[in-house]
Amino acid sequence: MQSSAANLLVLVPLLPLLGAVCTVLLGRRLGPRAHVPAVAGIGAAAVVALLLLLGTANQVGRHTDPKHPVEPVEMISTLWQWATVGDARSGDLPAAEAGVPIAPGTAVSGGTFSIPVALRLDPLTATLLMVITGVGLLVAIYSIGYMHDDPGYPRFFALVAMFVFSMSMLVAASNFLLVYVFWEAVGACSYLLIGFWYTKPEAARAAKKAFLVNRVGDFGLAIAVFLLWMTYGTLNFHDTRLADGTIVEGILGQTRIADEAGYVAGAVGTAICLLMLLAACGKSAQMPLHVWLPDAMEGPTPASALIHAATMVTAGIYLITRSAPLFMGCPGALTMVSIVGATTALVAALIATVQNDLKRVLAYSTISQLGYMFVALGTGTMLGFTAAIFHLVTHAFFKALLFLGAGSVMHAMGGVIDMRRFGGLRHVMPITATTFLIGACALAGVPPFAGFFSKDEVLASLHAKAHPDAHGSDHGEAGGRPSGPGIDAGGVADRGVRPFRPASMTSRSTALAARATGTLSTTDHASTPEKVGLDALDHPSTWRLLFWMSLLTAGLTAFYTFRAVFMTFTGPVRIPKEAGHHAHESPPAMTNPLLVLAAFSALSGIVLFFTNALSSFLAATPSLNAPAVLATAVTHAFHPDIAIQGTLAAAIGIAVAAIGHLGRRSDSPQMERYLGPLGALFANKFYFDQIYAALIVKPLEALAMVTAFFDRAIVDGTVDAIGQVPLAWGSAIRRMQSGLVQRYALAGVVGVLAIVLALAWQLRP
Amino acid sequence: MIPATLLTNALLVGAVLFCLGLVGILTRRNLIVMFLSAELMLQGVSVTLVAWSRYHGDWGGQVLVVFVLTVAACEAAVALVFVLQAFARTGRLDASAWQALREENLPRVIDHGLPADDRVVPTWPHLSPAGVLPEGDDSRSLERDHV
Repeated sequence: MQSSAANLLVLVPLLPLLGAVCTVLLGRRLGPRAHVPAVAGIGAAAVVALLLLLGTANQVGRHTDPKHPVEPVEMISTLWQWATVGDARSGDLPAAEAGVPIAPGTAVSGGTFSIPVALRLDPLTATLLMVITGVGLLVAIYSIGYMHDDPGYPRFFALVAMFVFSMSMLVAASNFLLVYVFWEAVGACSYLLIGFWYTKPEAARAAKKAFLVNRVGDFGLAIAVFLLWMTYGTLNFHDTRLADGTIVEGILGQTRIADEAGYVAGAVGTAICLLMLLAACGKSAQMPLHVWLPDAMEGPTPASALIHAATMVTAGIYLITRSAPLFMGCPGALTMVSIVGATTALVAALIATVQNDLKRVLAYSTISQLGYMFVALGTGTMLGFTAAIFHLVTHAFFKALLFLGAGSVMHAMGGVIDMRRFGGLRHVMPITATTFLIGACALAGVPPFAGFFSKDEVLASLHAKAHPDAHGSDHGEAGGRPSGPGIDAGGVADRGVRPFRPASMTSRSTALAARATGTLSTTDHASTPEKVGLDALDHPSTWRLLFWMSLLTAGLTAFYTFRAVFMTFTGPVRIPKEAGHHAHESPPAMTNPLLVLAAFSALSGIVLFFTNALSSFLAATPSLNAPAVLATAVTHAFHPDIAIQGTLAAAIGIAVAAIGHLGRRSDSPQMERYLGPLGALFANKFYFDQIYAALIVKPLEALAMVTAFFDRAIVDGTVDAIGQVPLAWGSAIRRMQSGLVQRYALAGVVGVLAIVLALAWQLRP
Repeated sequence: MIPATLLTNALLVGAVLFCLGLVGILTRRNLIVMFLSAELMLQGVSVTLVAWSRYHGDWGGQVLVVFVLTVAACEAAVALVFVLQAFARTGRLDASAWQALREENLPRVIDHGLPADDRVVPTWPHLSPAGVLPEGDDSRSLERDHV
């Protein structure tokens, strides 16, 4: 069963890849049927992903009681060995570097660098694969209607299938180098899809901007991969066995995760984590690398729905979740993750309140919601991680729904997407209006839609970190609780949860004594060790601030979402003249995916929350089975206080939006005139683009001009000058050919004379 | 004479003939004179061959001379055909009339040192008629006035 599931795993990326290849080869010949290979490939992959999900769920069983740790589930299937370099490490790592875990059994001098193409299946991967292929399939079906009169019809489907392949491989790969490869691959697919209409200058510029900003993040990931190799001796997630029988512990292998001293803390550990955070910021559009996502709306709307709402931007969250054991050793890095997330969420929400372009509102909303996920990830608790993934799943549904709805509106309005130019569309497009409203309710966090529950969990995880004593009436005795690094000593009590392996203090963990208390802590929580440097951020007051920032963001989210809904769908009916005869409801190929996504947005929250299916499913992920994370597991409960606060924020937001925009003409004076200069700040996106232009773009352009001049004048000049030399020679020698036979004969005679003289000279006595 | 002296003198004669022919081919512009000079070169070589043959007592040299003379005769026939064709195309026996195969941007070589081609028409002395005037026109003379 295990091996067959792992064998099925390779089909999930393979089928869309085949679809993409078929579309590339046969696309033009298939004409209006060019979507068939891609849609079939993605559809088949979705079916396989569903089977894998069910199979993995079967393996996990149901564990609703956090007191009993779940057996982590993972299945590895190695396809082939991509590269092997023997004796790759030169010399020993200096022994003074405390806490460097040398994998047991590996010869220290000269480790083997081997990259197997291995895929892993565990609950996190299964969940994400389902989301990727499911949303991908719905977007592909939607695109059949949306792109039907576009000359690049086959190219679009090839790119979408290519993207689904890359993203599936990214979440399924079991090796950091493979993750990096497919990290870049999804970036390339994103570039191609944003610049789909490449003849439009704004689209080309936006694609270039997206790729370059992502590159900054990729640089972070590359350095992190180098550091991982240097520190851990391998890049695999899973444990592998060398030819001579020694076991190389994978970075996220079960042995290493269970061993509290398995991970490096200190400068190297924090550096790795912060670099991964940089990479995640690039891909998931967090500050300061968020500037590409709003411009990416130049691409076709289905591409925006798939890539920039549901899947690619979640790669950063996947990376951090997958590397949770690495992060747990550096509480400072975790807090940075939350700070980045909360700041981004708030700033993006503020910018979204004054946007007039429907897709831009949704883009900033995406940035804001991704910030929420980062906030939850940074809490470092089991609740936080599962809340982030829960929010990822629900966000994929309702954000894709909102984007596809916006595409439907754009299609009907003849390409106009400025909300001030149309209004009252609920009479023109009822299905789109209803589904969009459902998506907006989910986004705003209106109970009982999906977003309410996931946002509730995010806020609950923040609240738990902010008020460490408020959530537990049962502070268990700390006996037996490991006090390894990364456990917030003032955090949620363990209630006697035993980690997966008993806290056997090995000799290695004493190397980490400088950071941890170093002993089995039997005292109360007051004896928190003094935290230094970045870790000093991990203080309950920080978490309180982040909680209030998130609550404010929730209110703003509700405001701008419903502002968009009211401006677009309520008020008097106004159709711009570009719409022509298009202004009607979209064809079923476009509305059916909307209905499916609306159903998911409405119901998935309730289903997943009250059955606790997702949380207990994810708790069986090996990455989340680190003792530090398990120690923070709490009983699944509904937090009414948090729920009330969240709903109140949402209600206030909706009310303000209603006051301003419900029933009014969409081009009536906006509410932001009350904001004054702040309104200009928000509308100019906090001047990020201008700052980057002045600091980075202009100097680079100047450098480019200098190098262009150098290339043209000096390098080309030199080459041209060298080219002139034979010409000069030639024109000198050419004069010998005069056309007169006697001169030629003379030349011959002179030559013979020269030979004779030379011979005579040689033969002189 | 002793054989060495005879050889030396004969080789000298051959060399002189050869050099004269060489200079002639390189310098003269009249096609027929050029050919004449080429023949002169051949004769110089022949004399040299005979001299060596006489010196070494080897008939091979003189046999080769017979061949040379034969080939020279055939070559003369072919060459004179060429000269005739050349004359027919341009009406001139000047070797420098054939310059068309020079490089494109080079100027035509024109010899500015030639004497002017003024054909002096000589006046023949007029004798008083003695006897009966011949039949035909007086002004039509059989001699050409230039060579």
